[in-house]
Amino acid sequence: MPAVRVQGLWKRFGEQIAVAGIDLELPAGRFIGLVGPNGAGKTTTLSMVTGLLRPDQGTVEVVGHDVWRDPVEVKARIGVLPEGLRLFERLSGRELLAYTGRLRGLPGAEVDKRATQLLDVLDLAGAQHKLVVDYSTGMRKKIGLAAALLHNPEVLFLDEPFEGVDPVSAQTIRGVLERYTGSGATVVFSSHVMELVESLCDWVAVMAAGRIRAHGPLAEVRGSAPTLQQAFLELVGAHGRATTTDLDWLGGGTR
Amino acid sequence: MSAAGLTPVVVRLKLSLLRNGLRQSAGRRAAYITSVVVVLLIAALQLLGLIALRGNAHAATIAVLLVEVLALGWAVMPLFFPSGDETLDPTRLVMLPLRPQPLVRALLAASLVGIGPLFTLCLFTGAVISVAHGAAAYGVGVLAVVLALLVCVALARAVAAANIRLLTSRKGRDLAVLSGLVIAVGAQLVNFGAQRLGSAGLSPLDPVENVLRWVPPASSIGAVDSVSRGAYGLAVAQLALSAAALAGLLALWSRSLTTLMTSPDESTLQAADPGARERTSTGLSRLLPAGRTGTVMERSLRYIWRDPKTKAAWVTSLAIGLIVPVFNALQGTGSIYFACFAAGMLGIQMYNQFGQDTSAFWMVAMTISSRRDAHAELRGRALALLLITLPYATLVTVVTTALLGAWPKLPEVLGLSFALLGAMLATGAWSSARFPYSIPQEGYKNVVPGQAGLAWISIFGGMIAAALLTAPVIAVAIWLNVSSDGDRWTWLLLPAGVLYGALITLLGLRLAAPRTAGRLPEILTAVSKG
Repeated sequence: MPAVRVQGLWKRFGEQIAVAGIDLELPAGRFIGLVGPNGAGKTTTLSMVTGLLRPDQGTVEVVGHDVWRDPVEVKARIGVLPEGLRLFERLSGRELLAYTGRLRGLPGAEVDKRATQLLDVLDLAGAQHKLVVDYSTGMRKKIGLAAALLHNPEVLFLDEPFEGVDPVSAQTIRGVLERYTGSGATVVFSSHVMELVESLCDWVAVMAAGRIRAHGPLAEVRGSAPTLQQAFLELVGAHGRATTTDLDWLGGGTR
Repeated sequence: MSAAGLTPVVVRLKLSLLRNGLRQSAGRRAAYITSVVVVLLIAALQLLGLIALRGNAHAATIAVLLVEVLALGWAVMPLFFPSGDETLDPTRLVMLPLRPQPLVRALLAASLVGIGPLFTLCLFTGAVISVAHGAAAYGVGVLAVVLALLVCVALARAVAAANIRLLTSRKGRDLAVLSGLVIAVGAQLVNFGAQRLGSAGLSPLDPVENVLRWVPPASSIGAVDSVSRGAYGLAVAQLALSAAALAGLLALWSRSLTTLMTSPDESTLQAADPGARERTSTGLSRLLPAGRTGTVMERSLRYIWRDPKTKAAWVTSLAIGLIVPVFNALQGTGSIYFACFAAGMLGIQMYNQFGQDTSAFWMVAMTISSRRDAHAELRGRALALLLITLPYATLVTVVTTALLGAWPKLPEVLGLSFALLGAMLATGAWSSARFPYSIPQEGYKNVVPGQAGLAWISIFGGMIAAALLTAPVIAVAIWLNVSSDGDRWTWLLLPAGVLYGALITLLGLRLAAPRTAGRLPEILTAVSKG
């Protein structure tokens, strides 16, 4: 059974079509990258897949359950870290985890145990009593990730988890995610940093202008191109866009 | 850049900032023009008033006090409105190769541009006219006005520079959100003081004036008064005091500017400081019920205290809910039924529950997958509210009753209060699900553009509905009061009101729960615009 099955997904905001008919099957147990330039519709797609945004058309199934008709089954099985939405920032890191875990219906003692371990692993133990509003971007992403992992979901959706994150935090997040997929769980994350996707993922879907341009195992999508970056630029039609004219004054030591 | 060229550049920068601020929207332009007109009108009226004071025995007292109050205003203004003047934040200029001395001169000149300085100039001129007698006094007066104005501006700059770390930090922004309350409370105090003075006359202020006339910047106005009375020695001393204050403030400001521009900025400092204050668990959770209800209650209660927007809304509700019935009772014009005001004001907090979460509502939405979850969520929020509202409404009612001495009416009014509270909770829960809207986290606005209509429907529609829902209890209360031997039975309204309030709350939650569960994405979209 695929981790996620999307059929005929559409979303329009006024005049602009954000997602223009997506059909996609994401295999379970993989580290999946959803790549595409800014404005390709990645966030809109992930929001609809996780039930945070109602699609105009189409169906979404997560591990065999319809997201809109069977939310009880779906919401217990997924973890989400959205981009551009706040957390409950006036709670401390630890309080945020305690709150999320209990809201998920986990027993209090278990929540506290897991929270302690997650805070340790994600290098947040020192800041656990600070309010999230005072956290840096990297720390916010990490506490968001901890909140998404707390109930041990089968599928984890991360929207731009590495955006604005320093290299040390990025490495920490990577370590946790690799350990998590190693146990058979599925991670779906969006990014526009190809090097990162190439080094982390074994399965990718390329999105541009609201559509899926290519999908499949990494090697297949990359094809004959030397890097995913090259393959991606060709797929979205941005290859060879030269910047030779103008700017001829730039560089060269003269003023 | 040469030192001489800097001043006009910074003044032009200030003018551009003003102009561009106005260009952003028509509403802002209208607001600005209105405020300019109002300020100029007030300034003109004050000026006329001060001129009319000429020759009055208390003219000097008023003039000196006015100048001192204005100076105080200049000192606290940057703390409450840190974003009001971008040139106030010297850290924005930190990357430019500037020396402190020319920078101080340039920024000081830039500060003299704007409505605030113009208003101050008008008042100071008025103050001088009210106390100056003779050509010499007017001559000193010109110097005094300039000196006093410079002291005010330098004071504002020095305070801002010394506190810029606070002002640009999260705590400073929180403070700014709460400043409206401080001003409201301050206005009440001023009102109270003015009433006292109105009855006792100005004489009690004269000893205060004797001290204040030596405190800069009012000492320069004091100097004008001294010249008018022929005490030239005193005048020189007073002017010298103002000048010394100006010099001192400039030195202080220049020093904090230098420190600011040569030390690392806050983000670096914060990263290097691991010793954050430990936040101990309050033990609150142990007192609350287990499961979702207790979890939701705990977060709601924490937010009342920690989130500046929520806190400001609560403090306003608590204050107005107390002030209206109690002050009316104190003035002898009150009715005991005003005590219901407390329940009504606090019940408003149930409205737009999810808007208060901002876009963090997604964390709630991810955990609501059935009507039962939605019901538990709403019930938790209502209970958190009741935890504060019930004792508070009772307290206000008892205090009002005690002030009016209307003890036989107590059960009746309590019953009405609780019934109204129940109706507010019920309609609040329902309209939270049906008419959610965003609350901007910065600034004073409570609605984002485009959602004002929604907010009106949500709050006023809800309040009218709540009043209608309370109608049965009100009708019974009226009937018992007009019927001949109804007084013996008014105590029944207490249990009846409690029962009615509880039932209608439960009903409201039950109706709101499926609405909430079915509209999660729509609610999230509506509350994420802040």
